[in-house]
Amino acid sequence: MERIKKIRNFCIVAHIDHGKSTLADRLIEKTGTLAKRDMQDQLLDSMDLEREKGITIKLTPTRMLYDFEGERYELNLIDTPGHVDFTYEVSRSLAACEGAILIVDASQGVEAQTLANAYLAIDNNLEVLPVINKIDLPSARPEEVKKEIEDVVGIPAMHAPCISAKDGLNIEQVLEMIVKEFPSPKGDENGRLKCLIFDSYYDNFKGAICLIRVFDGNVKVGDKIKMMHTGKVFDVTEVGVFVPFAKPCEQLLAGDVGYLAGSIKNLSDIEVGDTITSFSDPINEALPGYKKVQPVVFCGIFTVDGAKYGELKDALEKLKLNDASLEFQPEVSQALGYGFRCGFLGLLHLEIITERLEREFNLDIITTAPSVYYHVHKTDGQMIELSNPSSLPSPTEIDYIEEPVVKAEIFTPPQFVGAIMELCQDKRGVYKDLTYLDENRVKVNYTLPLGEIIYDFFDSLKSRTKGYASLDYELAGYQKSDLVKVDILLNGERCDALSLIVHKDKAYQRGRALTEKLKKIIPRQLFEVPLQAAIGSKIIARETVSAMRKDVLAKCYGGDITRKRKLLEKQKEGKKRMRKIGSVEIPSEAFMSILKLDDEDK
Amino acid sequence: MNGIYVHIPFCERKCNYCAFSSFTNLEEKDRYFKALIREIKDFDEGKLPKNEIFEKDDLHKIDTIYIGGGTPSLFDSGNIEKILDAIKEKFDLQKDNEITIECNPNSLDEDKIKGYRALGINRLSIGVQSLQDSQLSFIGRLHSAEQALNAIEISHKHFDNISCDFLIGLPRQEPEEFIFDLKKVVDIGVKHISAYMLQVEDKTPLADMARKSPFILPDDDQSAEIYQKGASFLQKRGFLQYEISNFAIKGYESKHNLKYWRGDNYIGFGLSAHSYVNGVRLANANNFKDYYSHKLALKEVLDKRQLIEERLMLGLRCNLGVDLKYLEKLGYFIENNENYTNFLEKKIIFNENDRIFLNPKYYGVSNYVIVSLLG
Repeated sequence: MERIKKIRNFCIVAHIDHGKSTLADRLIEKTGTLAKRDMQDQLLDSMDLEREKGITIKLTPTRMLYDFEGERYELNLIDTPGHVDFTYEVSRSLAACEGAILIVDASQGVEAQTLANAYLAIDNNLEVLPVINKIDLPSARPEEVKKEIEDVVGIPAMHAPCISAKDGLNIEQVLEMIVKEFPSPKGDENGRLKCLIFDSYYDNFKGAICLIRVFDGNVKVGDKIKMMHTGKVFDVTEVGVFVPFAKPCEQLLAGDVGYLAGSIKNLSDIEVGDTITSFSDPINEALPGYKKVQPVVFCGIFTVDGAKYGELKDALEKLKLNDASLEFQPEVSQALGYGFRCGFLGLLHLEIITERLEREFNLDIITTAPSVYYHVHKTDGQMIELSNPSSLPSPTEIDYIEEPVVKAEIFTPPQFVGAIMELCQDKRGVYKDLTYLDENRVKVNYTLPLGEIIYDFFDSLKSRTKGYASLDYELAGYQKSDLVKVDILLNGERCDALSLIVHKDKAYQRGRALTEKLKKIIPRQLFEVPLQAAIGSKIIARETVSAMRKDVLAKCYGGDITRKRKLLEKQKEGKKRMRKIGSVEIPSEAFMSILKLDDEDK
Repeated sequence: MNGIYVHIPFCERKCNYCAFSSFTNLEEKDRYFKALIREIKDFDEGKLPKNEIFEKDDLHKIDTIYIGGGTPSLFDSGNIEKILDAIKEKFDLQKDNEITIECNPNSLDEDKIKGYRALGINRLSIGVQSLQDSQLSFIGRLHSAEQALNAIEISHKHFDNISCDFLIGLPRQEPEEFIFDLKKVVDIGVKHISAYMLQVEDKTPLADMARKSPFILPDDDQSAEIYQKGASFLQKRGFLQYEISNFAIKGYESKHNLKYWRGDNYIGFGLSAHSYVNGVRLANANNFKDYYSHKLALKEVLDKRQLIEERLMLGLRCNLGVDLKYLEKLGYFIENNENYTNFLEKKIIFNENDRIFLNPKYYGVSNYVIVSLLG
């Protein structure tokens, strides 16, 4: 049999907790890629390595060898992230596959993400094959669930393997299905080189590594390659496959999935979705679907202890090695001192990074409210781009402001259309159209300001549609908008780190909510602290933190001074988490409170 | 000059708010008194840990003795006499001295009072806590308001120097009611008042009670109000607020307690008793078994940072203030603290001849001020 006919490239998609990673583990085990015991060891080893070197080794994609009817097949399992911030990365991973296994829990049946992920795979032209998992559970109802899949998802399911990934039951059937039902890749191994970069990571020894799917041609050590979108040229120093750890091989041919290293210094030299071709004999047209990944959400990151600026810088640089989409540049705030303005793919990405800064680098950080990039057209004809509200020129110098908008596609079962439209309306969305894809699925198109969806749009969407709706969006330029800057004054002093840019119609509501929230967060001080929200010099909301009246130690029994001193020392430690703005002490979490406003307004 | 503290860890009943070392097993009494007297007799200055920062100060001369508890007044003058004799044998008690004993109204009678007086005890500290019967029973006191007033009146016949302890923040307490209570004892002729904010300590019956009925105790603002109104009442009656919780007619300040705030030496004898000797803090074990085997619960040779912290904490909570020269000698220049200038400007603290004082108006929030001025 021809080599390429024995390759299967596939991914696994599922609703959360339906058993995606357990099935992956079983497949690896069953194909003898790793023995059960080694698997544990292997995983642990890699994690130690991660810690030591500060790099992330991705365990996937994994190449497995499977013997079936006298032939040895090569099965490549490609993993996919699962959040709207990373939709593009998911679509690129899917583009490297021909098939997708859709796992459905035998008792829970089709769930929101089952649907969303199945459609994502179908939309990427993958062959989608259902597998019913957890049939060992007493509540399992595999036949009903098969029917549900056919009715709701609309793909045949009667012959779906019924398995228990946990117990290793009927895994063989899944492997057979992969070989028999998934199409093999098409491609010409003697043709001109055409590879898709579907992911990347950084290795301290080898530099930036591309995870690739070869569509045509072949690539080996010594080849000179070219990235078609970035135009960058590299010499290949290593190619290999994951078994599941990286193992060098001689060459990668059409249909193969593996990795490629080429003394690529920076992760930012590699762009996911880019096409690799031969430098000397390039193809004319790159693979479709490439998008430049750009940060869309920006916020300031500062350390609670101003002296740790250097540590923050080092930490961000280390994270950047592994995460090309993270951007940062120095920023100075009157209130918070020296820090960085950082760019992220979305709020989840922001949260991941801030959490890693705190956990892995032991930094106490302050994050200011997330924002987007605005185009500010000044009366003198100049246009400036900014994301930091405090850099906004005074209103008299501003002619008009433009904000970024996105084209949002929301897929949903029909019963939630009303709720979705209400949400979009509330977020200043402009209705475009609505299409019935089939009787169970509607696509709603809106144009929405990016600034509105970066807050909690995705969460609101999920909660209003019981998790059934999915969102995809892409930037669609800028549009003029009636935006104002809301400042927060603490004891009459403007605190630049708390300013935000909002639509005029929402300024009062936001100002009020923010002052109320700050009142709850800011502890009482020796003096009454007025909290005001203002647009320019106009006060739009006011709250007061009343003066502290009691903060005193109890009786000291028989001269026990030590206990008192220790209490004071503890109190002093607590104070270190406070930032002083003028004469007002505010806890570091106050700065993020702007972000969480919407949760409590509901 | 040095002071001596003696701890009598016995009570008839433990109060609901009490988290300190006191026990109700009176059968331990004989053994305890024996051990206590042995501890006094065996006291050896030379065996104390040394703090290099400090010059040695002679511990021999003393001018205050404070017998606290617990409830020392559970025991009549016979028991107390042995303790005082042991002290006088070992130490040089100055003529102009202050000897205090803590008393509970229910364990006082005229004979006992006369007996104490005859021993040379010249100051009584009476745990009144409140003159509202409902509050007294809530906190688990064994006496009524009437009993307390009686005890004070009898004591006053034999003692000029009487202090009464009161609690602020009792159930449904109102400022007017607190002032009414204070007025009653001041009218009898009491010249010293200690008023402490009730603290709900973990693992006390009060903590459970407060959890079950969370609104029964006044909140911080209400407690502060009671405190402030009580303080201004006492000022009107000629009392000087010489410490956060202590008020006295001039000349009746507690000499012994002032040693705590001033940083003078005091030697503690008895279970869980604390000592401070030339820059070293010690505490005896807080259970009988360990106390009998001479175990310590605390031994702290204070370093410069701790000395600075203590000086600010202790000096600012009373009218002694803090000598800035002393802080500078320890390497702390308070002018470099940004809060310092701010507090001076706002008259939260005063600086008189390089000594700083907390404005008594801010005694109620002294922690905040002190913590802001630490390092």
